[in-house]
Amino acid sequence: MNIPSVDSEQLLNIGYDACAASCGNFMVLDHTILDIESRYQGLKVMPLAKAFDVYPHIREKLFFGIVDKDKNEYTRMSYNSEPVGYYIRVEEGVKIEEPLQAAFLFGEQGSTQLIHNIIELCDGAEINIVNGCTTATHHSQGTHVGITETYLGKNSSLGFTMLHNWGNTVEVFPVGAILVGENARYISNYVAMTAVKKIVSYPVAHVKQGGSARFFSIIFAKKGSYFDSGAKALLEGAGANGEIIGRVVSDGGTVISRQMLSGNEPGTVGHMECSGLLLNENGVIHSIPELRGAHPDINLSHEAAVGKISTEELSYLMTRGLTEEQARSLIIRGFLDIKIEGLPAKVQALVDEVIERSIAGSI
Amino acid sequence: MGFLEIKDLHVSVAGKEIIKGIDLTLERGKTAVIFGPNGSGKSTLLGTIAGLPGYEITQGTILFKGQDLGTLSIDEISRLGIGISYQYPPAIKGVKLQTLLQNINNNPEGIASWSKALNLTDFLQRDINVGFSGGERKRSEILQLLLQNPDLMLFDEPESGVDIENISVIANVVKTMLEKEKPISQRTRSSIIITHTGFILDYVKADIAYVIMDGHVRGCGSPGEIFEEIKLHGYEKCASCFAEQFQGIKTGDER
Ligand SMILES: Nc1ncnc2c1ncn2[C@@H]1O[C@H](COP(=O)(O)OP(=O)(O)OP(=O)(O)O)[C@@H](O)[C@H]1O
Ligand SMILES: [Mg+2]
Repeated sequence: MNIPSVDSEQLLNIGYDACAASCGNFMVLDHTILDIESRYQGLKVMPLAKAFDVYPHIREKLFFGIVDKDKNEYTRMSYNSEPVGYYIRVEEGVKIEEPLQAAFLFGEQGSTQLIHNIIELCDGAEINIVNGCTTATHHSQGTHVGITETYLGKNSSLGFTMLHNWGNTVEVFPVGAILVGENARYISNYVAMTAVKKIVSYPVAHVKQGGSARFFSIIFAKKGSYFDSGAKALLEGAGANGEIIGRVVSDGGTVISRQMLSGNEPGTVGHMECSGLLLNENGVIHSIPELRGAHPDINLSHEAAVGKISTEELSYLMTRGLTEEQARSLIIRGFLDIKIEGLPAKVQALVDEVIERSIAGSI
Repeated sequence: MGFLEIKDLHVSVAGKEIIKGIDLTLERGKTAVIFGPNGSGKSTLLGTIAGLPGYEITQGTILFKGQDLGTLSIDEISRLGIGISYQYPPAIKGVKLQTLLQNINNNPEGIASWSKALNLTDFLQRDINVGFSGGERKRSEILQLLLQNPDLMLFDEPESGVDIENISVIANVVKTMLEKEKPISQRTRSSIIITHTGFILDYVKADIAYVIMDGHVRGCGSPGEIFEEIKLHGYEKCASCFAEQFQGIKTGDER
């Protein structure tokens, strides 16, 4: 893929490869859609503005259906402007193996990019979506706002991977909400490995009867980076499941990790985990786990740990001849390696590659 | 210049003196075995040689190939040719055994054949020591040492917790590592082996035995004889007879 105003390197950092096998593509630069395509029957990918005309229910029910338009200044700004973003729809019972790739590029200096996406999976549909967000060049600066509303029908399944590769001059405000229908499965996989000025992100999943929402996140906070991020799973139906797993490394950056599970119905089960690794004394990791139970027949738990690299592990590797640097980087890689069940091997490989690339460039 | 020369070594751990003046020398190609009761300072001695943190040398020196190990970092000691098989190796989440082996020595054939020899092929894709049984950990230690191929190998109870069949697997590998099939004069690998059971000595012949008690060397001499004494009379009762033997060796040395 060759776009004059976009560094191909930046696309690699979010794993975007238009030639690789995928079921569909989407690419937007600032507010201009550069690429949009579905290569699969039963999969619709179209600009949200256009989808309003094709599917009236979007504007009526889905657009700001689970995100409050008055949530903050950005949602209001977004509500009042022509929406730019994708509408992805997978028809009933359609199961797609190849992932869909989407890229959000930010290029215009000093501007605010407003994105609004809506994903709708009909009953029994399955898909994996890989979203990459990056600055178009190393020098771009400004604000990115990305609203994503996700609606999962009964028994449907969505793997939603988000790879962030912003620069230290960009502020990012994603707003995510997910409605997980009966017995539907939602897996979110968030990876942010490069410097960013500020990210505030706290997606909320409403999980209906028998459904499950699982959030995995990997954050590497470089010096000067500020993350206020996490996830919330509201287990609103009997037997709903939630899982929130975070790995945070601070190399001088600040990370506030918020995780919340709330169980209101019998048989709801949830677990969350936040492990933080501080590489030096300049960083801060602040883990804020919250559990809320409103029914006796629930099981919610959390684990959190913040600390440094174990001296014992470090010296163990060094007695084998590895330098301290090599040993540290192996341990950090290992720490960030969460095995995400249900993620297709191809997406996992892509995630691993993105992590590998940025660790190689940073430790 | 000796190969390994430990002189009047005193080591403190967490402010407490554990090694209280140890002298020990080892020539190239030789194997020493260390006996001693629990808590006597055996692992502390090996850990100090390997340069592990927490072991503070308060007096004396360790010279290896003429270099003072007290001045070197862990990885420098390792690259100088010292490797250790841990009594209690740590587990490292997320790091595959294979990845570590490749970092030690990127030798795919070696990794494949030696892991097979140690029944560890299925463990290459597992995280280092995570969920490994006691015996599996010991085998993984030996595998790592094999790839590292150091001149001086420190084995801290390589056979404890290992079943009979795997003891012979481990011991035969160790025997090969130490070039025991070669004539004495041609051996270049040296080692110090800590053992309580002595099982490994049925396969790997040691040249000399040291008995460490309460941070001191209480005796040294023929491995077979000393081990027999310990089995018959226990450490405390033997302390005096070791001492006599030890004196003899010492005066012998000084002549
Ligand atoms: N970190 C530590 N803090 C306090 N004491 C320690 C520490 N590490 C070792 N020690 C003490 O040092 C002494 C010697 O320990 P070491 O592990 O060297 O014994 P050992 O001879 O190898 O025993 P074993 O046969 O049981 O393996 C023990 O009394 C032990 O409790
Ligand atoms: Mg010991």
